[in-house]
Amino acid sequence: MSASLSLTVKTARDELERITAAIDNLAEEDDWPADLLFRVQLVLEELALNIVDYGHDDDTSDFEIAFMSEGDSLTIEIVDGGRAFDPLNDAPEPDLTSGVAERRVGGLGVHFVRTLMDDVQYERSAGKNRLKMVTRKVR
Amino acid sequence: MEINAERDGATVIARPTGRLDGSNAGEFQEALEAAIDESDRALVLDFEQISYISSAGLRVILLTARSLQGNGGQMALCALDAPIREVFAISGFDTIIPIHGTRDEALAAVGG
Repeated sequence: MSASLSLTVKTARDELERITAAIDNLAEEDDWPADLLFRVQLVLEELALNIVDYGHDDDTSDFEIAFMSEGDSLTIEIVDGGRAFDPLNDAPEPDLTSGVAERRVGGLGVHFVRTLMDDVQYERSAGKNRLKMVTRKVR
Repeated sequence: MEINAERDGATVIARPTGRLDGSNAGEFQEALEAAIDESDRALVLDFEQISYISSAGLRVILLTARSLQGNGGQMALCALDAPIREVFAISGFDTIIPIHGTRDEALAAVGG
């Protein structure tokens, strides 16, 4: 199967519902297994809300999300002109071991991205964060 | 965010429905707080009707577990779908919140 989708999203929290619905539609069109749909929804929610919450001070800027599905491979690119943020190096280390009283949730979103995607590459160029992720559709 | 809550002695059994994501985590937290009294000793969160969770949902679960523990209470989860079970494993949340297969097992574990 092959399919592609490009989305322009505002830097507002309520855009999450539109992103979720667009991914649901692409998954149906491209016949994704349920596991892939779950992973992509999770990764995109974590990254999009990071951009909305920390990358921008306004809720009217735009950023771009593109999906390219070809054979067994899905590539996702996010291009955003907000504050420079390299999730591979700038995100806090996730706390995976503390007890209930001390546990912190910061950094979990990026930890999900690293764990659930096969390849993640970041580049800052022309004033934009460019994050490219690749995953096999079937694990 | 819909939550069905019932009480069995000092144990609250809460069954949320749908997705636990960044758009409704605040609502989820308010609904849980409303369902739990200060005198309650345990919470069983039945995830049978939950299809998705992100870090925003995990945060609410952590805050709820912390609040219960501060009152001397405890919390258990049950009936997690495989992808949700994986989120709990990757995040290490399965080491701080006990996860059970069924509601009865969770109730037995918290002494309900």
